[in-house]
Amino acid sequence: MDNSIWISILGFLATITLAFVVGVFYGGLVRKVTARIQNRVGPPFYQNFFDIVKLYSKTTAINHGWMQHLGPAFAITASVTSLMFIPILNGQGDMMWFENLNFKGDLIFLLYMMVFGSLGMALGAGQTGNPYSAIGVSRGLSQMVGYEIPWVLALVAIMMQAETTSITGLIDYQNANDTWMMFESPLAFIAGLLAMLGMFHYAPFDVPFAPAELASGPASEFGGKYLALMMTSGAIMAFVKLVLFVDIFMGGASNLVMLLVKTFLLYMVPVLYGVVSPRYRTEQSIRYFWGWPTAIGVLGVLYVVFIR
Amino acid sequence: MTEDKHIKEQKIVDQLSGTFQNLTGKVKRERRVEVSVEKKLIPSVLSYVKDQLTFTHMSHMSCVDWLEDEHFELVYILWSPELKVQLLVKTLINRENPVIENVDMIWGQLNTYQREIREMYGIQFTGLEGREEFVLEDWDEMPPMRRDFDTAEYIKDVFFERPGRDGAKDVREVIATRSGEEIPELAKKYSRD
Amino acid sequence: MPNDKKSQKIVDIIQNAARKHSLFVLAYGTGCGAIEIPPTMTSRYDAERFGIRGMATPRQADVLLVTGYLATKTLKRVIRAYEQMQDPKYVIGFGSCTINGGMYWDSYNTIKLLDKYIPVDVYINGCMPRPEAVIEGFIELQGLIKDGKANGATKYKENIDWYRANQKKVIKNWNMPDYNW
Ligand code: SF4
Repeated sequence: MDNSIWISILGFLATITLAFVVGVFYGGLVRKVTARIQNRVGPPFYQNFFDIVKLYSKTTAINHGWMQHLGPAFAITASVTSLMFIPILNGQGDMMWFENLNFKGDLIFLLYMMVFGSLGMALGAGQTGNPYSAIGVSRGLSQMVGYEIPWVLALVAIMMQAETTSITGLIDYQNANDTWMMFESPLAFIAGLLAMLGMFHYAPFDVPFAPAELASGPASEFGGKYLALMMTSGAIMAFVKLVLFVDIFMGGASNLVMLLVKTFLLYMVPVLYGVVSPRYRTEQSIRYFWGWPTAIGVLGVLYVVFIR
Repeated sequence: MTEDKHIKEQKIVDQLSGTFQNLTGKVKRERRVEVSVEKKLIPSVLSYVKDQLTFTHMSHMSCVDWLEDEHFELVYILWSPELKVQLLVKTLINRENPVIENVDMIWGQLNTYQREIREMYGIQFTGLEGREEFVLEDWDEMPPMRRDFDTAEYIKDVFFERPGRDGAKDVREVIATRSGEEIPELAKKYSRD
Repeated sequence: MPNDKKSQKIVDIIQNAARKHSLFVLAYGTGCGAIEIPPTMTSRYDAERFGIRGMATPRQADVLLVTGYLATKTLKRVIRAYEQMQDPKYVIGFGSCTINGGMYWDSYNTIKLLDKYIPVDVYINGCMPRPEAVIEGFIELQGLIKDGKANGATKYKENIDWYRANQKKVIKNWNMPDYNW
């Protein structure tokens, strides 16, 4: 009994460290890849570590009230909590403690949990009273309404197919049938992938941040340690989304190398799509998500209901 | 000889001096006509050339400070896309009491030009709307573009000057001694001593 | 133990290394020099190699780049942006206009010596400096940061009265909020 508690606490810490390191590292790689595509040398891949350390070492004297403190705190709470509910590896034995806090129905719980951080950020940004933040928040929330629909449809399709709502259940289903969900129900996979483009907020879907016109949107009043906290939570959240996607569509990963390969390949989809795209306007972005991705999602659900 | 060379330009001058009294006009060169009028005639001359002579485009408005003759000269520069002629309408204002009528109802953009001239030369336009401040902020000296505003004196008072290096040479002196010229009186004021 | 000299020194080294390699520049252009910033940042000269990156708001920026002449009206905005930036912060004066007035030395409306109004860590001369020179200036600043010598902000706080007196001399209507950092 005692032992297992210590092991799970150790598991939490290891998971958070892993998520942070991998997330920040991926962030640096993205900058590098972007730079190479633009025919530049680009920053070193560990650049984001420097950024975060520097931001943590800055003074943070300006604040506009306690909700501004809570905004980044909500964001990081949401990312860490979501991380806790995702099985990182699906192996047995030693690696079991990466499974963290699984219980039945956690996919639906995660759907809410992943939104929680953005809502907290929205409240925090609202307190600052900066007009750019307000515009950024409203754009971000509208866009969220856009991509949540194909995302939920994709999840519904695969949950109906595997007849479970738990992530571990989904992984077990894929392992038992010796296949990946992306082949089992490809329409749901495509809908989910398109929704994921929006979730990562890379161009063309970087509507809420829009540095050219909105002065970095919701984050414009957050400097120093607030920004560091937000970057940390962003890195962890990116890892969460990638691992979740790998878990439910690509059969999970049984060791770390496999996990890194799969998540990296997956990550390159929104990144490469983003590098070569300009930015959508808000209504274009929403129209995009309510167009083909939603249609494909509906088809995916129908496919599962009638054909499977 | 110039008369038959610049027929359409001369026609504009004739038409204007036939319509208005005390208007002197002359053809400067091809496609450029200059007329001088009294200051109280400015609104009627401008609307006349706009409506009757097709000078529809207001290119620019500027001001010259004739310190020695003690007046300002306002210049309205117009362009006719049909005749392809540039028309300069000039008028003189007393330097002691510089007031003239606002004409921004004829061309909307004159509002901006007039506000600039009001700030830079202190010329008052009766009935001109818009903020008193144009580009300067909290300026309480003499309007800075007037020629009796002493910039060199003013910057000595207000701004700091970085001391130069020892043995630095004045560019003007070096060039003047090399080519054996005199430094003009005006430039000496700004020279290092 | 946690506050003794040795551990503080280690923390300083780590902090300075991180600060050196990550300079967020406030994207605020004055004067003609601002046109040299796009080539510095993009493919041809690629300042991102050194961790230099544009940031849109003063809250997130470390470096204030004053790219050229400052009218007294602009100076007011620059001071305001500078005071909103969070410590540690650095200023780079860019072009001869910030050093001695440059070609606007006899203008009634532009300041001539930037370092009388805000503390400047590095000056880059030239009218206007080429992107190579700009990057050279940034590397100079990085060297200063690494040695812990880029302390313009501390100097500003210590001599705030002197700076304020100079600023108020040209900004006649001083209606700005006081920031307490
Ligand atoms: S130094 Fe030269 S390029 Fe730079 S702002 Fe002054 S005049 Fe313009």
